Amino acid sequence: MELATAYPSWSSVNDLQLVTRVVAGEAAAERELYETYVDRIYRLSFRIAGDDELARDFTQATFIRAFEKIGSFRGESSLSTWLHSIGMSVALNGLRKTKRLRKREAPIEEGLTVGSTRREAEPDLKEKMARAIESLSEKYRVVFLMHDVEGFTHEEISGVLKIPVGTSKSHLFQARSKLRVALADFAPEWVS
Amino acid sequence: MTEDKFESFLKKAAPSYNSPPERAPREEMWRAIQAARQAGPRVVYGGGANSVATSGSRFGSKVWLSAAAAAVLVATGVGIGRWTASPGTESTAASTVARTAAPDQVALEGPIKGDASGSERTVTTERGDSRAPGGRAFDRSTSVASGPSLRLDVASGGITASGNGVSGSASTAGATSPSAYQVAAVNHLTQAEALLTSFRTRSAADQRVDAQLASWARELLSNTRLLLDSPVAVDPQRRPLLQDLELLLVQIVQLSPGGTPQDREIIEHTLKQDQVLTRLRTAIPAGQRGS
Repeated sequence: MELATAYPSWSSVNDLQLVTRVVAGEAAAERELYETYVDRIYRLSFRIAGDDELARDFTQATFIRAFEKIGSFRGESSLSTWLHSIGMSVALNGLRKTKRLRKREAPIEEGLTVGSTRREAEPDLKEKMARAIESLSEKYRVVFLMHDVEGFTHEEISGVLKIPVGTSKSHLFQARSKLRVALADFAPEWVS
Repeated sequence: MTEDKFESFLKKAAPSYNSPPERAPREEMWRAIQAARQAGPRVVYGGGANSVATSGSRFGSKVWLSAAAAAVLVATGVGIGRWTASPGTESTAASTVARTAAPDQVALEGPIKGDASGSERTVTTERGDSRAPGGRAFDRSTSVASGPSLRLDVASGGITASGNGVSGSASTAGATSPSAYQVAAVNHLTQAEALLTSFRTRSAADQRVDAQLASWARELLSNTRLLLDSPVAVDPQRRPLLQDLELLLVQIVQLSPGGTPQDREIIEHTLKQDQVLTRLRTAIPAGQRGS
């Protein structure tokens, strides 16, 4: 227990046992690993992608890759951190590719909407919040979503994204600062 | 104080952003994972946690450049493979193979090792006549799709492939048959994945995009057929993938701008049922993505 407290990112005995069983080819262990972590991986993928199909693709690719690479897992970080690290890598790379595709489609969509009436209504908080988060650069957005939305600690973020804890805190600070400016219309909500 | 309130405000309001469904589709994803793992041994989607996607390619107008490059690479791989696959291949640097429109006739031009004079000569072999002068053996029993033609010009260190309006050149120095095929295949599969991802992410109203995708699919279709005819397709996992991909590409090619939603649904259905996208991603080795 002391070790776990001193090195909270290290794998627990249960993690290592589970990994050992997976490496040994035990099908039930694979399913157990999947069931244990799939919800969090999927949630985070969805937060990053904002699309069910993409979130599924990313989650699937994460586990396929994890099962393939599990032999290289040495327990230097927790299994959760290791899996999320793969998941974030998969999601961010996949999303960059998808964004490139959408960039190409955007001009066509804009062309098709010529002549249509724009929405006059002022976007509500939800819409404005979404736009503000979308406008953040990737590194700020990811840290913000992981910390403030999904509840990861800075230590966990540090392990998953392989950045120093201080950098994670700095990114979160920057993200919040930018959001504060973007959401200035709603200042009365937090200024007493 | 204000900072704390803003933090609380964010934590209360931000979860509405990209809010995931309450339940993850566990069973569906598990089935897809199992299918993909059975279909192929390699899965890689992206590099390390902080890997940065290469920024060379851009989807937009440059997509055609990428498609052309992929077409050239595929044709190059197939060409080099055919050139070097035969036993006893000891051609010197200055030889040229030209595939003509007739699939069962191959013209070989250029000096062949053992020809001390080094003078160029032309040999034409008919299908079944598999041995050319100088001990060089040819196996031309397999046919290549009639669309693209392939021309190797090793003398100049260049390879030119033409077909469907695509042409280009690449160095052949040090190229070997298996690696050339592999590079060509991986590049092709990467392109196919990009196309299918694009197909899935477009909205139903994107009829102009459909037309562009159809045109792009046509390019990939000819390359898919070339690959199906090459040693890459010997792989028991890659062959069915290429065949499924071929079917999908045919469907996309036939997708006209005025097509019905049912046409698109059929393609979507094929995509999901055969897990083509997942299998493609599985078949693309690490480091090949994001380009």
